[in-house]
Amino acid sequence: MAKEKGYTKKNFLKGIIIENPLLVSILGTCPALATTKTVEAAIGMSILFTIVLVCSSILVSLLRKVISEEIRTPAYIVIIATFVTIVKMMTNAFLPELYSTLGVFISLIVVNCIVLGRAEAYASKNGVFDSFIDALGMGVGYALALILMAFFREIIGAGSLSIGKVFTFIPQYTLQILPKGYAIKLFQDPPGAFIVFAIILAVIAFIKNRKAELKSNRERQARIKQEQEARAAAIKQQEGGNK
Amino acid sequence: MPSKKHYIITSITLGCIAMASAILIGATNLLTAPRIKVNEDNRFNVGITSVFGDGAEATIYEESLKDFKIQGFKSDFNIELESSYEVKNEENNIHGWAIRTTGRNDYGKVSLIVGFDYEPRSFKGIYVISNEQTYASTLVEEYIDPLNGAEDKETKMEDVSCGATYGAKLTRDMIKAAKEYVDGIDYK
Repeated sequence: MAKEKGYTKKNFLKGIIIENPLLVSILGTCPALATTKTVEAAIGMSILFTIVLVCSSILVSLLRKVISEEIRTPAYIVIIATFVTIVKMMTNAFLPELYSTLGVFISLIVVNCIVLGRAEAYASKNGVFDSFIDALGMGVGYALALILMAFFREIIGAGSLSIGKVFTFIPQYTLQILPKGYAIKLFQDPPGAFIVFAIILAVIAFIKNRKAELKSNRERQARIKQEQEARAAAIKQQEGGNK
Repeated sequence: MPSKKHYIITSITLGCIAMASAILIGATNLLTAPRIKVNEDNRFNVGITSVFGDGAEATIYEESLKDFKIQGFKSDFNIELESSYEVKNEENNIHGWAIRTTGRNDYGKVSLIVGFDYEPRSFKGIYVISNEQTYASTLVEEYIDPLNGAEDKETKMEDVSCGATYGAKLTRDMIKAAKEYVDGIDYK
């Protein structure tokens, strides 16, 4: 079946905005709350997550006609766990600071609902290229959400933004945003993560509701205008007939 | 009712996926294991300077402490002393002792360098080589960092209440095991 024009672009963008896995579907919240103390850690987690998601989606899509219904879930878990193990070893070897910062949350990518969910919902039913684009979009969407959370948590919780502590090949630099002593340490702890997450979700819900409200107002006004025009036309017709 | 052939094909498919996964993981391990070892050795050298100060250098004293058995206390955890080192300062005088040790509990593995002064053999500090504990960052922030910064480290060591108490107890027992070994060194 021929795909509609712009399908690839829509497929990629839906993971970022309309179906953002963290901010819309509320999936993968555990690593989102735990690894967003700093922007650097969030970037690191996003990269590893996206690699696992893309590789497992591609492989699941390649094997979708070979894997039978009975062994679908264990097969997907084995595939995802393989990529997570590879990514973990590579991180330990080439980015040891990122490895020690993220700790057990690298291994927990295996049980991240987004990875298994996309494998089941999309990759097992679509071709390799479409699965790749879908996974990439979801990965980028998740990354943007993590970085957004980490941005606020690090600024409010530490009062600064720093780079070079996790990615040690970058020169270390700290940008002091808040004056010393004004940082609220709570935002670096789990309760702060929940608060930031809740505020971001509330803002998104507000924007969505506002958009829906404006759209329904526009539609109502268009309908009223249409009815008025129809009434005016009917009156004119009646007057013309009377004459 | 699925046929016998269907079950055989299903089993073979899953077996092939598992085998391919094992090969991939094995190959990655071959590629990364030497690099991980180098990273650990680099961390070890960084750890020595972190505990003993700039210019400190460790030379092997006893390469394998596999036969060392903890006798002074009973630990609930699996603790191994790996090797011991003499630490010399820039003037080539013996500065202290460093013990490389690994411990495991249900939350994961921790590898440490435990440092002691030369004489008296008081506890000087620890450095984390690798930390695979579930509450890794909590263990470092709430127990290890305050311990390294404390004036009276021996007393502070016993205060294991933190967000990662189980990990803190493991760390404390590793330090005590290293202390027991160091106290037994008859160095002239």
